Amino acid sequence: MNRGGNSKKRPPPSTTLPPGKHRATGTPSPSPVVGTLEDEFVDEDVFVDEIDEESLILRDMEEREALSARSSTWARPPLSPAYLANSQSIIFQQLEIDYVIKEIHKELLPGSSGQAAVIRIFGVTREGHSVCCFVHGFEPYFYIACPPGMGPDDISRFHQSLEGRMRESNKNANVPKFVRHIEMVQKKSIMYYQQQKSQTFLKITVALPTMVASCRGILDRGIQIDGLGMKSFQTYESNIVFALRFMVDRDIVGGNWIEVPAGKYKKDARTLSYCQLEFHCLYSDLISHAPEGEYSKMAPFRVLSFDIECAGRKGHFPEAKHDPVIQIANLVTLQGEDQPFIRNVMTLNSCAPIVGVDVMSFETERKVLLAWKDFVRDVDPDIIIGYNICKFDLPYLIERAAALGIEEFPLLGRVKNSRVRMRDSTFSSRQQGTRESKETTIEGRFQFDLFQAIHRDHKLSSYSLNSVSAHFLSEQKEDVHHSIITDLQNGNAETRRRLAVYCLKDAYLPQRLLDKLMCIYNYVEMARVTGVPISFLLARGQSIKVLSQLLRKAKQKNMVLPNAKQSGSEQGTFEGATVLEARTGFYEKPIATLDFASLYPSIMMAYNLCYCTLVTPEDVRKLNLPPEHINKTPSGETFVKQSLQKGILPEILEELITARKRAKADLKEAKDPLEKAVLDGRQLALKISANSVYGFTGATVGQLPCLEISSSVTSYGRQMIEQTKKFVEDKFTTLGGYEYNAEVIYGDTDSVMVQFGVPDVEAAMTLGKEAAEYISGTFIKPIKLEFEKVYFPYLLINKKRYAGLVWTNPQKFDKMDTKGIETVRRDNCLLVKNLVTESLNKILIDRDVQGAAEYVKNTIADLLMNRIDLSLLVITKGLTKTGDDYEVKSAHGELAERMRKRDAATAPNVGDRVPYVIITAAKGAKGYEKSEDPIYVLENNIPIDPKYYIENQISKPLLRIFDPVLKNASSELLHGDHMRSISITTPSNSGIMRFAKKQLSCVGCKVPISTGTLCARCKGREAELYCKNVSQVSDLEELFGRLWTQCQECQGSLHQDVLCTSRDCPIFYRRMKAQKDMATAKQQLDRWSF
Amino acid sequence: MEIDSEKTHERKQSDYTSLQDERFEIQKDMYRGQQYSQIYFVRLHLMRTLLYSLAPSWKPHLPVCKVLGLEEGKECIIVGTLFKHMKLKPCVLDEYSKERSVTPLVKPHNFMHPDDSLILEDESGRVKLGGSALSPPVYVTGVVVALHGKETSAGEFVVEDVLEAGLPPQLERPLDHLKEDKYVLLVSGLSIGSNSSNPLLFQLLVDHITGHVSDDEELGLAAQIVHVVIAGNSVEFPRKLLTGQNMASKDQSTLYEPIKELDIMLNQIAAGVSVDIMPGLNDPANFALPQQPLNRCLFPGSAPYNTFRSCTNPHSFDVDNIRFLGTSGQNIDDLDKYSEAESKLDFVERTLRWRHLAPTAPNTLGCYPFTDRDPFLIETCPHVYFVGNQDKYDSRLVKGSEGQLVRLICIPKFCETGVAVAVNLRNLECHTRSFNIQL
Repeated sequence: MNRGGNSKKRPPPSTTLPPGKHRATGTPSPSPVVGTLEDEFVDEDVFVDEIDEESLILRDMEEREALSARSSTWARPPLSPAYLANSQSIIFQQLEIDYVIKEIHKELLPGSSGQAAVIRIFGVTREGHSVCCFVHGFEPYFYIACPPGMGPDDISRFHQSLEGRMRESNKNANVPKFVRHIEMVQKKSIMYYQQQKSQTFLKITVALPTMVASCRGILDRGIQIDGLGMKSFQTYESNIVFALRFMVDRDIVGGNWIEVPAGKYKKDARTLSYCQLEFHCLYSDLISHAPEGEYSKMAPFRVLSFDIECAGRKGHFPEAKHDPVIQIANLVTLQGEDQPFIRNVMTLNSCAPIVGVDVMSFETERKVLLAWKDFVRDVDPDIIIGYNICKFDLPYLIERAAALGIEEFPLLGRVKNSRVRMRDSTFSSRQQGTRESKETTIEGRFQFDLFQAIHRDHKLSSYSLNSVSAHFLSEQKEDVHHSIITDLQNGNAETRRRLAVYCLKDAYLPQRLLDKLMCIYNYVEMARVTGVPISFLLARGQSIKVLSQLLRKAKQKNMVLPNAKQSGSEQGTFEGATVLEARTGFYEKPIATLDFASLYPSIMMAYNLCYCTLVTPEDVRKLNLPPEHINKTPSGETFVKQSLQKGILPEILEELITARKRAKADLKEAKDPLEKAVLDGRQLALKISANSVYGFTGATVGQLPCLEISSSVTSYGRQMIEQTKKFVEDKFTTLGGYEYNAEVIYGDTDSVMVQFGVPDVEAAMTLGKEAAEYISGTFIKPIKLEFEKVYFPYLLINKKRYAGLVWTNPQKFDKMDTKGIETVRRDNCLLVKNLVTESLNKILIDRDVQGAAEYVKNTIADLLMNRIDLSLLVITKGLTKTGDDYEVKSAHGELAERMRKRDAATAPNVGDRVPYVIITAAKGAKGYEKSEDPIYVLENNIPIDPKYYIENQISKPLLRIFDPVLKNASSELLHGDHMRSISITTPSNSGIMRFAKKQLSCVGCKVPISTGTLCARCKGREAELYCKNVSQVSDLEELFGRLWTQCQECQGSLHQDVLCTSRDCPIFYRRMKAQKDMATAKQQLDRWSF
Repeated sequence: MEIDSEKTHERKQSDYTSLQDERFEIQKDMYRGQQYSQIYFVRLHLMRTLLYSLAPSWKPHLPVCKVLGLEEGKECIIVGTLFKHMKLKPCVLDEYSKERSVTPLVKPHNFMHPDDSLILEDESGRVKLGGSALSPPVYVTGVVVALHGKETSAGEFVVEDVLEAGLPPQLERPLDHLKEDKYVLLVSGLSIGSNSSNPLLFQLLVDHITGHVSDDEELGLAAQIVHVVIAGNSVEFPRKLLTGQNMASKDQSTLYEPIKELDIMLNQIAAGVSVDIMPGLNDPANFALPQQPLNRCLFPGSAPYNTFRSCTNPHSFDVDNIRFLGTSGQNIDDLDKYSEAESKLDFVERTLRWRHLAPTAPNTLGCYPFTDRDPFLIETCPHVYFVGNQDKYDSRLVKGSEGQLVRLICIPKFCETGVAVAVNLRNLECHTRSFNIQL
């Protein structure tokens, strides 16, 4: 089963949304990632198992012949003679960097022995050859401040005691020496402004990466040194993972090109991986190319997109212990090409052929799984993508293989003998909440789960593959309910083919999403800009990216970063961004918005805010710095100006902003679409990176928090907004020679809304530009106030809630902009969204408040008269636990229980989203008892509860909009004549109906009659009543035809029945309803016998 | 037959049978959750049997394949249902899901786009079609054809030649025993109750049919009319008004006025000559094809006459063994939206050659979800094939390869043109009879 199976495996949505306007990507404003809680990533030593693999695999060769015929077409291009002869430099784009522990390479490092960490880089050459590069000689290290009085002579003693302590705590390590060496270096801590150039640090090099942590522990706790006594040490850069340490030191950034010149590498006779080019070299021989010109391109990565289907038992979500994997669909695409070059599906039992797809059928599940394993090895994908593969597909395959006892299945990686490792992981950040997931390591293959990526980068109302593809690709996807999947599997070759087509589509959509969203480009560029390996981007939060940049910059400046242990709680919190009081109302004069361009980065640059420019309160007193060289921030901190010490953070920001300008300029010039994609991804990455620096300093449990910086930034921000307000209101007055007095009606984190009083857009624009220029002049560069747009008209509801038409040119408005208004919230039914959107359209675009009110009234009347389409009333909530586990009974939890009693097979399971409507129930029924399955409601004519919808769903959002524009909005909209007529259907399954006897009634007046259609009194109106009846049928027929043919179109076949049960689709309920209504209407019409 | 004297004109007689309509009747069939796949399946099955039988004489040397059996580069014949992928085709999903855009959507008359492409589908799968032999603007979704071509490496089937089913076999036309002129009068689009209709104009038509005219020559013409067919849209019935808000009962009865007026006129016609009335798009009938006969309760005045027949749309009948087949125009109007031709008659001729009255049903044309048959297949070639409610009158004679002879007629909207069409049963010639009130 896959996620198509009714969103089975989607994790519940993150409940903690970031405060304010902050978003992961794309927001132009500063992003305060305040308090990113990321569990610390630590190195984990992986030991290479050097046993010969072939002996492990005892496989029937005959079985594999079917696949071996195909492997030739699957394989990568063969190596040229130059590569084979080692006479060519190897240049490749790296995708993944990690390390393994193995015996020291005797040829490259003569004279050493024992185990060492070897950096392993996987990548692809321009020709499409896979590369595995082992880099030797790089050793893990960190720094400590040299204690005063410790001279070069004391080092060897220190070394000895440290070595002794290390030996105690790492008893089973197989290394001759734990602490390789200790040397004295001149460095400077990044923390606080210091007058001296440098101080003495000790660089401690250890044998294996994990020993950094244990060594740090020893030093933290304190160590007895002869002659110096018990001492504990502050460590520096001891929390940097080994791979990143290597990348920083060798100037390698994520996804860049690396060259190993001919003659500098050695190939071993016995290879460890399946890569075409596997070689060893010394770390000093690597050449890292900056991602520019030729080296900004992308190598032809092989991208495998796959999806699995499992046959669950009735009423259960598939479990790997019991339920077989029945199909696996695969698509392989070369990066940069628009069509996959391999499409195949592996099925359990026969499957009718599919055009353009290689269908491989197997009799046993074991063979299916093994075929897939061989396929992965032969195709050798660099990137594995899919939808929710990390949490469902991959773990399921591995657990299933374990349940079947297929030992060799988990050998999916590029490294021979390396089994896929799986563990539970939780990722939590305040930005995204806590997400539980499984982490599956497939060595050498980068996993990219579109679900995770989209969840991370986009805020949507639903993350099912259906709604995601509807949103980005404007395509509805058919959704086969998981209870049907087993039936299809148990049918014949044709029904299995039907399933296979569906499975293939699910494998294809992630690839299309990947292309459409430019994921590869954007992520590779982000890795290049921030310097972290690509895999970090998905698995980790924002702070590692800033840390990576900080490390690189500090290294240039000969500075080191302290390993600031989580000291967040002591530092407390600080005041956030400011919001000017909103003068709510409906503005029918143009409102100019003045925006600070990248406000927080600009402040940091303008006031030189950095770790290394912060003066401790103690030093302020002691050092007696001249006032012209320092800035005292509004929050009371002191920072030195550039003249004394240029900050590292401002420098990083400057570089990011300059680079972004360059990328944008290049983007304008670029012709080639691929080049454009790279540049656009880059400028986006640069923007996000610049905005996340501020958040890094405020992350109280982050890598290097410094609340002095972040609170200074926000305090400056507040000051700027206040100042802008003052300047505008002082200057643009009638006294100052302007036509009207300007008024600041609202101000947000980085923008100020001004009503200049002029009635036309063009004049407001001129004044806006003038104000922006004038006020910018009063700020320190590069803080800049920009005039961007005019809102006209503008409906300001309250703080962070407004709507208006955006004008960037005086001729025509660009679009409607809404913020904080119920247009996307998913615990609202669609009717709310439609009402709000349409009302805003009428008020803002048509300028017809009365029309909007009329529209709302009509809709409410329709609701009361039971004329609203059911799909508009469906409310959806995620089921996070079973009914009993909820402490407070919830509408959807209760419903799930009731549905399970009706039919366990189709009832929602934990993790599903439960759609429901609120129905009229007995008097005094609890809220949670009034929920019902929409399909059940349709089938049984159960009346919905219009009162609930009016009171709990639509009244609040509507009144918010109408209160500023309409007098007595509440009584006008919610208590008028339109509320008087009510129509409630009689449920066909209610208690009373069981006793009711059906009797014919007159179609015209409902009087009971014994035969015929009409009573005697209505006979004269026969033709008229017939017309009415037939016109209803006629409308239904039209709708029926349009809906069902649309579903045929979606499923891509005319000759097969529609199976889709996608409840996310806007026409699903309509289609079901049309089908049912049609049957009733036709029956009714047939009473008018000829 | 008697020879007409100078003073009395006696209406000529003819044999009329309309057993053909049975297949268009839905009767007790119900909506029981059946889908549209069956009708396509039946259509493909019947048409394929036919096309397979034609294939050996069309391209004797070529093998016949299913879509799945295609091999790259191998020439063969495949038979399947066409599906036209259309960029501009309106989509019901958009109506429900798209945000309202700033500029209102302009509804084009025709949904053609240069990027439209054709796909051939059978039960086994789909294949994209390429090559210039098959022109996307001509074909529509739902047509079953045989194609000669081969699959390219890109998985596209390059079409080299197309075989359509062609005209169906025809009943022999009893030319010999018809020695005199007898006419069937075809009229459509009376649109009583619409702004453009004028009651006087219709009265003139009725008077012409019933012989209430002073001119002797015209009286002679009237006497030669043996049958009248009203091909749809007899009233302008604003059915959209009936759903939605409740209406006062007074308003409801005014809606019914045009039907009363129609009944009065039909009453006069039926008294003199046999008349068939077919439902059309605007009539108080169901929407989906085949439209069922207008209910007799609508015509309390005319229904008692045995010369009055309320028929289905499409409608097929024999007069003096001349077979008529016709629709009220929805099938051709739909083709006009989703394909291109120089004249409406080309569309009419195409449906005949495709042997299918309404290939776009159910895709873009509403249709009952039949499970066991496709009533729109044309199994027997009619002698007269008419289509109602067109903009202007047009007609042509089409000859089939087996000697079939078919008269194709576009009947104009009467309320706009004042034109009725008379078909001579003797020689299948036809002419218009125009009525004008500005005499």
